[in-house]
Amino acid sequence: MSAANPIMEVKNVSKTFDRVVTALDNVSIEVRGNEIVSVVGENGAGKSTLMKILVGVYQPDSGEMYYLGRRVPFPKDPLDALRRGISIVYQERGVIPHLKVYQFLFLGLEEKFTKLGRLQLGKIIGLAKSVFEELGLECDLTSSIYELPPSTQKMVEIARAILSIKLMMVGDGGSEITPIIILDEPTAPLSLEERDELFNYLLNLKKSNSFIFVSHIIPEVMKFSDRIYVLRDGRVVAHHDLSSEKVTEDQLFREIVGRESYYDLWAKYVYGVGEVRERRAILSVRNLAKKGYFENVSFDLHEGECIGLFGPAGCGKSEIAKALYGEISADNGKIIVDGKEAKLKGEPYVRIKMGIGYFSGETGKELFLFWPIKKNLSIVNFEKVTKKPLKIASVISFKAESSLAEKIMKKLRIRAPSVEAECYSLSGGNKQKVSVGKWLEKNPKILVLEDPTIGIDVGAREEIYEVLLEMKRNGTAMILVSDDPKEYTILCDKIISVRNGIVQAVYTNEEFRRLMGL
Amino acid sequence: MKGGLGQLKIGSVVVTSAWRLIKANPAVWAIFALIVIFSAIVPEKFLSVSNFVAILKNFAVTSMLAVGPTFVILLGSIDVSYMGVWMFGGALVWLLYPYLGLASIAIYPIFGLLVGLFNGVVHVKARVPSFILTLAVTAVFAFLTTYVRNVSGVLTLTVPAYNFLRESPIPYLPSPFLLALPVIVIALFIMFFTKFGTYFCAIGSNEEGAKLAGVNVEKYKTLAFTLSGLITGLGSIAIFVHLGCQTRVDFDPSELVRGLAAIVLGGTPLAGGMGGPHRTLLGALVYVLIFNGLFLLPGVDPNHLKLYVGTLLLGAVIAASRALRGALIA
Repeated sequence: MSAANPIMEVKNVSKTFDRVVTALDNVSIEVRGNEIVSVVGENGAGKSTLMKILVGVYQPDSGEMYYLGRRVPFPKDPLDALRRGISIVYQERGVIPHLKVYQFLFLGLEEKFTKLGRLQLGKIIGLAKSVFEELGLECDLTSSIYELPPSTQKMVEIARAILSIKLMMVGDGGSEITPIIILDEPTAPLSLEERDELFNYLLNLKKSNSFIFVSHIIPEVMKFSDRIYVLRDGRVVAHHDLSSEKVTEDQLFREIVGRESYYDLWAKYVYGVGEVRERRAILSVRNLAKKGYFENVSFDLHEGECIGLFGPAGCGKSEIAKALYGEISADNGKIIVDGKEAKLKGEPYVRIKMGIGYFSGETGKELFLFWPIKKNLSIVNFEKVTKKPLKIASVISFKAESSLAEKIMKKLRIRAPSVEAECYSLSGGNKQKVSVGKWLEKNPKILVLEDPTIGIDVGAREEIYEVLLEMKRNGTAMILVSDDPKEYTILCDKIISVRNGIVQAVYTNEEFRRLMGL
Repeated sequence: MKGGLGQLKIGSVVVTSAWRLIKANPAVWAIFALIVIFSAIVPEKFLSVSNFVAILKNFAVTSMLAVGPTFVILLGSIDVSYMGVWMFGGALVWLLYPYLGLASIAIYPIFGLLVGLFNGVVHVKARVPSFILTLAVTAVFAFLTTYVRNVSGVLTLTVPAYNFLRESPIPYLPSPFLLALPVIVIALFIMFFTKFGTYFCAIGSNEEGAKLAGVNVEKYKTLAFTLSGLITGLGSIAIFVHLGCQTRVDFDPSELVRGLAAIVLGGTPLAGGMGGPHRTLLGALVYVLIFNGLFLLPGVDPNHLKLYVGTLLLGAVIAASRALRGALIA
């Protein structure tokens, strides 16, 4: 098969959710034989939606699909996609830890290897062996998945994806077909060495397969892709063929974020050189540890300062943040909030009383989706909307509740019909603004941020940053955990790098920027 | 012309607010429909004063069984200990009357509160599923009630000294209804004017989110059970009076269903998170209208009423869960 002719092509794909949120707008991409084609973009750019359409999880509103030049309907479910030679390896939750490797490899395909109701184990293991040989994968077939290192787990998943396509397509002369494997952020759970291992494996597999590589990590994408599609706000904004054109990381970065840079925003808020302020330590963490997650974490956080905890997924950064907020309990060490030592046993309501708030961008984690905006805003601010006519009972004042909500809505420019609008009807960005709005009013001493802008568009992002930076200027200290290095450069004064639960180094914002090449 | 527009505006305001009420509480439809249907079929019986009084009495009993547990159902848990509170609370009043005199009626709310507190603590701390726990509590107290009756060698556990409570000072408004009113007011106040209502809903709709917003989930869960017990205890006084100042001495599962039926028909989903006592009151009215209406219909065997109503509940639960799923997807 000639490499230039696309195996699979989609044209003018559009998809909206709830008739309001446009996830994809006239997107066209193609996949050629034996290539790694990357789809890059920020969270919320539409990457996942597009991939889910390709594997039949979502149906597009409009668009066309071509396979080997023939027009075909979009797959109606993942099994249908398999028959078209398309499979996906998801970012997480792909493996089933307690299955043996060969069991996992043939999961859902057992019927092809069953004779009179009995599983032909010998045949399965034999086939698995030959598949692994063919794919150049070395591992013990009878070991359990969880015993394998993360990179090998990913490889087994990829092997499974290829295998299922081949088995599904045998009837259609499938051996001629080049399988298309979608890899959704495959490197997220891996360390740097493991990433290289995985990429070498992929380059080897490229001889007989094509990959769609979904990522937002620019250096990786530049290093291993044949072609790159840049998605932004649901549109393809750029397409690069790396064999015929030169693209710099900087250029790609700008195409992804869609504006000159966020640094202007950052510069607007960063402490001026002339401004000398004696800042008080508001949070002191000493030798904090939780077995299996992190150990020996110590740092001081000052008023109006933001410290980022940075590292690969699974490095313990989220757990440290959660331990500070009280969502989980640390085993050892000290957490001192404004001079008072906090109990290690985690209870968010205790920590909130001490002045620690928490804001996550994960939709639905904090919001009560079927509640009106005003209730979502007043839940942490009851003391501001209640009166105490009797000593024992606080009585909610509906008027105070509404006016509080109106004030926040106006300030954050939350676009909704009224304070009575239920939160599920809002767009992602506006939901996030409601989540952050309640803390804006509460004004905690410390705010723990976990992926504060995940999955929202650039405009809404900037608005969230504005709110956070304003709170910071007014003295709220912050802890940031995010997957997006840019976010650290915008919000943080200091960045603590964490690997395997241990603090590696502390960087200033500038050092960090240089290190990340941002 | 101008006046016409003004009228139009007032009219549309009335229509929209009525529409909002109906939309927020689907049970209002059912109430309208039932009144229209039964008035059309058996007008002289259904629209009589005696039926009106009967409906009010029945409403008082049904709502007093259902309003308390509604708070627990908001959490996404369930509390069926109300039968136990009602039955054995009455037995305690009967037992203690010789010592405490008229004050012994106060045993009802105290007993309810203690049972609720027990349920809450065991459910939260020992993580016992609430349905099994509260059903066991009801079973124990129902047995104890029957046991008290059997051991004392009396037929009923009646305290005639409270007979004065059966006289209503207001014509056409029966005394059980009047006794239920303050309990209803308390429940609605807690739901809408204190943070408790909000917190219960918060836990039911997104427990993790409630925790993250600083709600002490364990405390408020325990409080909801305690409140449920207390309100049932207070409400049981109305039922006690309705039954002629005596308590029930034999366990009847259809009475248990009655409370849950009012909650579900009112539109508080058993999964929790929304609804509340206001809906339960509407649900109680629906239940009572169906029961009374069917009773008045010619050709309906009153002995089979419980079967019809039970079947209806089954249908309502299935319909409600489907409707809810639809709402969640949309």
